[in-house]
Amino acid sequence: MNRAWSVVALREIMVRLRDRNFLMSTGFTLVFLLGAILAQQFFGNRAMSYDIGVEGPEGARIVAQAQELARAEDPEVRLTSTELGDAAAVEEAARVDDVDYGLLATADGWELVDEGPTAGDLQMLVGEVVREDALGRNAEAAGTDLESLLAGSAVTARDLAEGDGGSTFLAFVLGLVFAMLFYMSSLLFGMQIASSVVEEKQSRLVEILAAAIPVRTLLLGKVVGNTVLALGQLVLIVAVGLVGLAFTDYDVALPGLAGGIAWYVPFFVVGFLALACIWAAAGSLASRTEDLQSTTMPLTMLLVVVFVVSLNLEGVWRVVASYVPITSTILMPMRVLEGEAAWWEPWVALVVVLAFSLVTVRLGARLYQRSLLHTSGALSWRRAMTLTD
Amino acid sequence: MLQISHLTRRFGDVVAAADVSFEVPAGQMVGFVGGNGAGKTTTMRMIMGVLAPTSGEVLWDGAPTTREVRARFGYMPEERGLYPKQPVLGQLVYLGQLHGMTASAARQRATELLGRFGLGDRLDAKVETLSLGNQQRAQIIASVLGDPVALVLDEPFSGLDPAAVDQMSELLREHTARGVPVLFSSHQLELVDRLCDSIVVLHHGRVVASGSSEQLRATAPLRYRLTTTGDTGWVRGAPGITVVDLDGPSVLVEPADEDAAQRLLADAAARGPVREFSLIRPSLSEIYREVAA
Repeated sequence: MNRAWSVVALREIMVRLRDRNFLMSTGFTLVFLLGAILAQQFFGNRAMSYDIGVEGPEGARIVAQAQELARAEDPEVRLTSTELGDAAAVEEAARVDDVDYGLLATADGWELVDEGPTAGDLQMLVGEVVREDALGRNAEAAGTDLESLLAGSAVTARDLAEGDGGSTFLAFVLGLVFAMLFYMSSLLFGMQIASSVVEEKQSRLVEILAAAIPVRTLLLGKVVGNTVLALGQLVLIVAVGLVGLAFTDYDVALPGLAGGIAWYVPFFVVGFLALACIWAAAGSLASRTEDLQSTTMPLTMLLVVVFVVSLNLEGVWRVVASYVPITSTILMPMRVLEGEAAWWEPWVALVVVLAFSLVTVRLGARLYQRSLLHTSGALSWRRAMTLTD
Repeated sequence: MLQISHLTRRFGDVVAAADVSFEVPAGQMVGFVGGNGAGKTTTMRMIMGVLAPTSGEVLWDGAPTTREVRARFGYMPEERGLYPKQPVLGQLVYLGQLHGMTASAARQRATELLGRFGLGDRLDAKVETLSLGNQQRAQIIASVLGDPVALVLDEPFSGLDPAAVDQMSELLREHTARGVPVLFSSHQLELVDRLCDSIVVLHHGRVVASGSSEQLRATAPLRYRLTTTGDTGWVRGAPGITVVDLDGPSVLVEPADEDAAQRLLADAAARGPVREFSLIRPSLSEIYREVAA
């Protein structure tokens, strides 16, 4: 009989894997995630690539210098020039899109021509090259050189965060994504536990099951089965997300974040377990599927509060909440990702949430055992606490 | 042998079962009768360990039942149910596995039983698509799937058509023939009378009568019906005779003993022709009404 829980767990998993709604929603999530990453890469990070029509070698030299300057920042920038002879030909080529822009010399400098507005980044780039070029010539004429003229005028930016500059933003986004994943998974699979409990209660199967195996074994199987499913779905989503990210410019930042991402898994599992038996108890309080909404209300509210509070806390409260069970599931891995937590902090928070889940598992199991065979009407949480076997 | 020993269950102030004791000997079928709320379901739930008794115990072959023993009992609860959206065969296999069978053994046995109950072509049908009678058949199969050592069936015959009643009776007889004790509750007293070796009558949570139907009948008062060609009003004065019902030439009497009955017959024959003088065998339902009054 000690393998009965695995029979129950396997059934929970198989029923879910054959459920078309579940498969489709998982599929949609994955497609949406990949789409979001690819769209971000395509629209947000597309490297500059322009073909610029010029009259002659002077214009081509400006374009070549702009290319060199831009490459220092982003190696994927591609600026090419096409010599077209005269201004009229350049304007015509820009108008019919033979070239992306035209670059023409004017009385006091240069102009970029095109039908419609000019890309700001290109205008800044060309402007800088032309200005340096002009400054250099003017300086020479004034008997000095460009370096002395520009001395003391440099403004650069320095990122105080450790490691790559891109990781701060990425850590924030990942933290947010993980928070949402936890919220969605615990809601989805928690509800699944509750509704599979009430299904057995409503269809009166529970008496046959309770006569065959201990009620605790039934509960264990349900919790294990749904935890495996939740974790499996999470791993799938994270894996697809990480593979997707590896194809973007953020790939350089990923290795630095691996530690935080790895911490997320144990926190997710324990955080899910801490609520799993309470979800089962919520299911056992209901006598029909229709009652579920009211018996699971405290849990859904709790998750909303955990989600909202976790994302809005700051300073010392945020640090405190990163140790408090359930909010720690979201906040502690987030702080690890941001490089803010010391090495021992996640361990402590994990022990705290483990201890907490020991309490909730026992409480949930007790409520479940007591109210499972009460088939006449929904029970209140208060009433269930006072029931005897 | 299944022995129920002084089982009592209270729900708050309500006593659902009070000091219930009886036996279900190996290879015998015991009928459990009583009105709604008499405590039959409560008692069966306690036998199955689904409900904890307030006091008393259930013995199997002389020793208190353990979860391991009960897991080998076949049980059909009063409230029927299977997973509505799952195929019949699939969930019978699942239930068989929970009773410790291997998946392949459970599949083989369930397929065989489904075939026998005329559901051989509905193996993969979802339970909710089956008619109520067929769902009931699937439920019966679920209770006997794991080669049970004892059967505890709450109202197994309710909702069955006559053909299914016969199939069910046959299935139960097969089990008793192998020495399996069978306890089932029913409101269909003729059926209980026909099938059972003994009967336990429960009323307000107490066992008010038990024994074979012959033994139960023997406890009922002796009654005779006398029909003559004339008026039978004179019977009222006959020694050792109590008149239960008198209607012109016909009278129903309760003699104090067999001698009084025979004297009554001789008196009647002396007064004129006797059309009828017969011992009235009470039906089980009359006995039931008597003890449950």
